Amino acid sequence: MAAARPALRRAVPSLRSTFLPHHQQPQCHHHVTISRRSLSTSSSFRNDTPNTSSSSTADRETHFGFSTVTESQKRALVASVFTSVADSYDKMNDLMSFGWHRIWKDHFVSTLNPGFSPLSSSSDPSSSPQHILDIAGGTGDIAFRMLNHAHVVNQNPNVKVTISDINRAMLSVGKSRSSEQLPASQQAALSFIEANAEDLTKTRPLQPILSQQEQTFFDPSTATSSIPDNSVDLYTVAFGIRNFSNIPAALKEAYRVLKPGGVFACLEFSKADKHPLFNSVYKEWSFRAIPLIGQLVAGDRDSYQYLVESIERFPRQEEFRDMILGAGFRVSGDGWEDLTGGVAAVHRGMKPR
Amino acid sequence: MASRAAVNRSGAARRILLLLPTRPVTRSLLAAVTTRSVTTLPSASTYPSRQRNKLPQPRQQGQQQPSSLQQRTYHSTTHPPPPGPFTPAETSLLTTALTSHVPVHGFTLQSLTLAARDLSLLDISPSFLGPAPIARLIHFHLYTTRTTLSSLAAQHTDLLSGLTIPEKVELLTWLRLKQNEPIIQHWQQALAVLAQPSHVPTAVKELAMLADEVYYLAGDKSVDPSWYTKRGALSGIYAAAELFMTTDKSEGFQETRRFLRRRLQEAEELGGAVKGVGEWVGFTASAGINVLRSKGVRI
Repeated sequence: MAAARPALRRAVPSLRSTFLPHHQQPQCHHHVTISRRSLSTSSSFRNDTPNTSSSSTADRETHFGFSTVTESQKRALVASVFTSVADSYDKMNDLMSFGWHRIWKDHFVSTLNPGFSPLSSSSDPSSSPQHILDIAGGTGDIAFRMLNHAHVVNQNPNVKVTISDINRAMLSVGKSRSSEQLPASQQAALSFIEANAEDLTKTRPLQPILSQQEQTFFDPSTATSSIPDNSVDLYTVAFGIRNFSNIPAALKEAYRVLKPGGVFACLEFSKADKHPLFNSVYKEWSFRAIPLIGQLVAGDRDSYQYLVESIERFPRQEEFRDMILGAGFRVSGDGWEDLTGGVAAVHRGMKPR
Repeated sequence: MASRAAVNRSGAARRILLLLPTRPVTRSLLAAVTTRSVTTLPSASTYPSRQRNKLPQPRQQGQQQPSSLQQRTYHSTTHPPPPGPFTPAETSLLTTALTSHVPVHGFTLQSLTLAARDLSLLDISPSFLGPAPIARLIHFHLYTTRTTLSSLAAQHTDLLSGLTIPEKVELLTWLRLKQNEPIIQHWQQALAVLAQPSHVPTAVKELAMLADEVYYLAGDKSVDPSWYTKRGALSGIYAAAELFMTTDKSEGFQETRRFLRRRLQEAEELGGAVKGVGEWVGFTASAGINVLRSKGVRI
């Protein structure tokens, strides 16, 4: 599955001409101009219309980095980004964050403490089962750590992890890594499904990609199963939610699938502007160095340009916490925890009983 | 002539302004140096969100309002107090843990998980409390014991009436110490958790607020620097008494109460001694200056 690395700038006009009728094609460019951003308001999002039919929501406007696209376009564009970076995802993460992403992910998993169960004389202390759903976790970073923490640290073998991702290339990378890195008992507790996090009623187990002509992202019409209501103990999404076309829909789905008392946890890049000097250094690094590293190491500048732009467009900590509250979750204290001065943030919520 | 010169100057200024960099990165550098603005790029988020400068919208029923929206920096006797740092969902879990499980299991994840099971929640539920749930539980104990002090004082008005302010301070501090009784056998462990560097600010702030609460309920109305010295002294005395109480095995913790009285007595004597020294220094200095003036020195 050696994915070809399409230059995104070439891909975007062809995708746009595919998805839009000709008279509606906007001028396409990735560069930032302040006036264009201020004009690209999405008034459609001000009214919270709970629309579920895919044909009407597919044309709703959203952002792809600093440009404005429709939701269906964004899905396709994000798919091409992640297909092209799937092989070198870990190497690029190490280069961009100087290996710090491993510390963030370790902290994320250890503070969630999956598999912990209180000692009690009446029942077997390790018997309490848990079902963890890791969304957009294609390459398995978080899921492998969850399995290790639950099975080895907390000595609880009854914890099952399901990795879900819309991108089959990322899932295939995760599956091959799991067979190389995990012991057999942990592999048995792991499953891979293709799904769109905004609608978890349509899923299917991972089908390996057999030819380059196949679509690398999940097509809901091929769904064979679904995730039932109130079935998940812990729902995690790490560095994935900013790529979703419709974040409130994903939060509503998270609320649906979680059991009462279940925990929603999100690790994501966020705003570091409480420390202005550090923030300006961080922004310089993001916008100058990261696309350059992407070009030199992975040969794919545009994907990494999208990456830093999508980080910039993601809502700040307070706004995202309000969106989590809006989906019905309860939070604790402020509702988030800043990591590394706000470069990343962990948001946690609980579905009430 | 003068007006044309003025127009030329403003035109030049406008041209210079246009030359200023508008790329977001350098703008962020400028912002970092010149202003204290929070974001540098327009936050035209495409998702429904509160505008930064508007008042919070009324929430739908069943949704909690996060405590950070309701913090205010002043104290009011005519308005209800703000909700505090703990949300309702947190409060129910932590209260159950404190009352039913901490006396037996201590300040541990065990207590929190058993409390979650009591409330028909899941074993994973305490993870929503944040990265340090045990510290959160201890903070909650400090917070509830401090905020219930006023209702305790209301229950003991018969004891409190007719006492001087130092005596009221002693009684209120003793009432607060007695609130630690159910969990005193685990309190050394809790203090060790609070001594970790990331939790020290919370602990110190709670101690300062407790000292202020005690003096407020005792009716202290000082507006001079003794406001600070009194509360600082009480913070130190309370911390010492609390630590003493963790090893006290006497009946009804009488030894702790005597310890508290001795420390408060010493503080009073010290306060009197400092005041006396201050008076002596002031008198001697002014007398010395007057002597020098009588000798002809111009001061």
